[in-house]
Amino acid sequence: MKHILIVDDDERIRLLLSEELTDEGYEVKTAADAMEALKIIEQQEPLDLVVLDIRMPGMTGVELLPRIIGLRENLPVILNTAYTQYKQDFMTWAANAYIVKSSDLSELKQKIKELIE
Amino acid sequence: MSDQLGLLTQLIELFTSSVSYGERLDNFVHLLARNLNFDLALFFVLEKEKQRLLLNTSSQGPVSPSMLIVFPLGRGLVGQTAQTREHLIAYRDDPEIFPANRPLETIYPDFQTLASFAVADDNFLYGVLLLVDQKRRKLDTATLKLIKLACLMLAGTIRQALRHDETKKRIAELSGLFEIGKAISSTMELDALLERILSTAAKVINARGAILRIIDEQTGLPRVASEYGDVFETSACLLTSKLETAVVSGELPFVTTSLPDLQGHLHSYLGVPLNFKGHLKGMLCVFDKMSEALEFQEFDAENRQLLFTMAGMISSSIENALTFQELEALAEKNERMVRVLTVLQEISWALMTTVRMEKILDIILNALTLESGLAYDRAVVLLVNENRHVLKAVKGVFRKTSPPTLPLREALMVPVEVRAESAMEKLLPRLQIPLQEDKGILARTVLQKKTFHIVQAEQDSRVNQELRQAYDLQEFVSVPLIVKDQVTGVIVVDNQRSKRAIRDNDVQILNMFANQAVLAIENSRLYSTIEANNRELSLIRERMLESDRLAALSGLAQGMAHEIRNPLTSIGGFARRISKKVGKNSPLRHDVEVITQEVERLEKLLREVLDFSGVNLGYYEEHDFNQIIEDALTLIERDLMASNIKIAKDFALLPNVHCDDRQIKQVFYNLFQNARQAMDKGGTLTIRTYPVEKSDGLYAAAAVSDTGGGIPLELLHNIFNPFFTTKEFGTGLGLSIAERIVSRHYGQIEIINELGKGVTFIVTLPIAKYCLIKTAEDQEAQP
Repeated sequence: MKHILIVDDDERIRLLLSEELTDEGYEVKTAADAMEALKIIEQQEPLDLVVLDIRMPGMTGVELLPRIIGLRENLPVILNTAYTQYKQDFMTWAANAYIVKSSDLSELKQKIKELIE
Repeated sequence: MSDQLGLLTQLIELFTSSVSYGERLDNFVHLLARNLNFDLALFFVLEKEKQRLLLNTSSQGPVSPSMLIVFPLGRGLVGQTAQTREHLIAYRDDPEIFPANRPLETIYPDFQTLASFAVADDNFLYGVLLLVDQKRRKLDTATLKLIKLACLMLAGTIRQALRHDETKKRIAELSGLFEIGKAISSTMELDALLERILSTAAKVINARGAILRIIDEQTGLPRVASEYGDVFETSACLLTSKLETAVVSGELPFVTTSLPDLQGHLHSYLGVPLNFKGHLKGMLCVFDKMSEALEFQEFDAENRQLLFTMAGMISSSIENALTFQELEALAEKNERMVRVLTVLQEISWALMTTVRMEKILDIILNALTLESGLAYDRAVVLLVNENRHVLKAVKGVFRKTSPPTLPLREALMVPVEVRAESAMEKLLPRLQIPLQEDKGILARTVLQKKTFHIVQAEQDSRVNQELRQAYDLQEFVSVPLIVKDQVTGVIVVDNQRSKRAIRDNDVQILNMFANQAVLAIENSRLYSTIEANNRELSLIRERMLESDRLAALSGLAQGMAHEIRNPLTSIGGFARRISKKVGKNSPLRHDVEVITQEVERLEKLLREVLDFSGVNLGYYEEHDFNQIIEDALTLIERDLMASNIKIAKDFALLPNVHCDDRQIKQVFYNLFQNARQAMDKGGTLTIRTYPVEKSDGLYAAAAVSDTGGGIPLELLHNIFNPFFTTKEFGTGLGLSIAERIVSRHYGQIEIINELGKGVTFIVTLPIAKYCLIKTAEDQEAQP
């Protein structure tokens, strides 16, 4: 059983992703902001992948990304955002993938599969 | 003694009587002869020259010319008495006497006694009285005394008579001069003045006629000729030739001569010079002096003197009249000039009212041909075409035959209609003259920037004879239109119908007119350039405004799009979940699928908006340009076939291009889509690839043409703008994204629009090996 952390300020997105990924057979945790996510990561609970939103109140995904890498260097992170322009921010290059949000989750699922199986 | 007293009484009576001098003299000699018992009493008068004494009066009766007896001073008894003023008495038998006094035999052959007495006063000797008798006579002292007294009285009478005569002459002269004076102050008008002067001069001198000639100082030719009375050819010739030689020699001409006329009659002439301020200006001549009894007379010294005086008097008034005439001519010329200037001003005003070339040409032609304008019979305007180096006729016109009804200002504005029936006006549009020196006078007008006034076109080698025949040219003027030292055209005018001569002054006026006309033409040209520039500028401004609007809209859209993307993801995601859960045959399935599809459509729109507005990270590699096009074509091939569109491919072998193949594929996909939509009733899609050499390297080009009729002009400038669409179901982003992609690849996208045929889009991309440097720059530029 692989563990995935979903970080997104949009409750409905968190719900959609967790339900879909649970259906795919993953153990899903969610965090509504960066601080919550950091807490979960710091607790050293089993975690195989993070799906990270960028625009959030408080710390953004781009700011959170280096701290995640700092805490767990080998933890794969997929940036999942409504914005395309962050692709130009070289900080986002540190992520394992950059996926633009879509109701069609097959691209996300495909990337997750590539990264943790 | 009483006899002597009686004689004396009679003499006093005689000398105080009012009879004329000649009669008194007659009576005097009679009285003496009778009272003193002498056979004969003669009076010899001393000539003016005081050299000779002439028989003047005889007691025998009138002295006929055959009785002419002359004694030189000192010769004969008469001559001796005149010299000594002493009385002499001599007898025929005295041998010393007879020979000297022999001439007396002609009138009195038997003379015996001769007694001569001087008729003189204290100063002057007037003549000699000679008493003749056939007997030997002695005179006593008393008689001698008496005779001397009588002679003294005669001298007094003669002196008086001479004075009287002289006074009469003076008065006549003065009244003559007075007449002349009246004449010269009577008028300033030259012809009338000369007539008055001549008639008065002739009358004063009792001449039958008078002639006057004045010569022009510059040319030396007669300038004014005036005549009075019956002038004979010879007299006019005489005066003219005399005057001409006088001008050449510098001598003052003076004529007193007699010449026969053609019929052989002798005429006498008296001519004097007319000097103005010391310069010889002409001659005044009178001829044929007549006595009161209508007998021809010689002109005498008095006449000469009088004529000289007259000449002096009249010359200054003639001078004044000449000046007055010149002034009048000058004033007339000025008046003409003012009229012309007024016309030119009216024309200038009319030319200022418009900047339209067509109207300006009409005004120019009207100005040249209107009766109230410059009134030429024909006028043509030709303009220089610089590109083709020819002079081309623009418009020409014949003078209107109907009399002018409108004032000039309005008449100028009337449009000029070219009448088809006029051969000249029909021929004109074909008139084109190459600008070379040997192509006739019009080409020369342009090349030499000079006005030409041709008087005899037929004999003028400078005139192109074909042109002359075609337009029946005789006298004409060709004026260049010069602005900023450039000849922009030529005006040609003539008076073909009326044959009215063109004067130098007219040519000058034409030049003035041309200066105004060319400014108007130039203005019109500048104005039309400005107008074109303005149109273009306003178009650009419109487009910029639109771009601004679109940029703002695009910013707004982007913000909104991102906000929409999150809820859309949720809606779509949950809808998909529902669709997985509802059974295949559930009535809900269709509903859910609609939600899913609609969300997908919205997401696609969002992607297009956001991909367009943001900059995507590209995957640049070397790709086969033709292959990319083929790939894009396969995506749409089925749709094309469905729309009955044929595909024509013409691919050249090309080196690889440096590009993001997916993006370029997108470009072509878009172009093909547009082509398909343009040809909804079928057609041909032509795709041609070929290499293009540009200054900065080698490019690969692809031309995509449709047969869809082209893009309407009013839409053309908008097609690359985002959100511009003519389609009901399009986003309007296709071409603007294509353009952005291509320019991001340092390529170009061009459009060739052929209305009624179709549109060709040409996409050019740099060939891989020529854009290595660019790629490096490109990467540096990327953050």
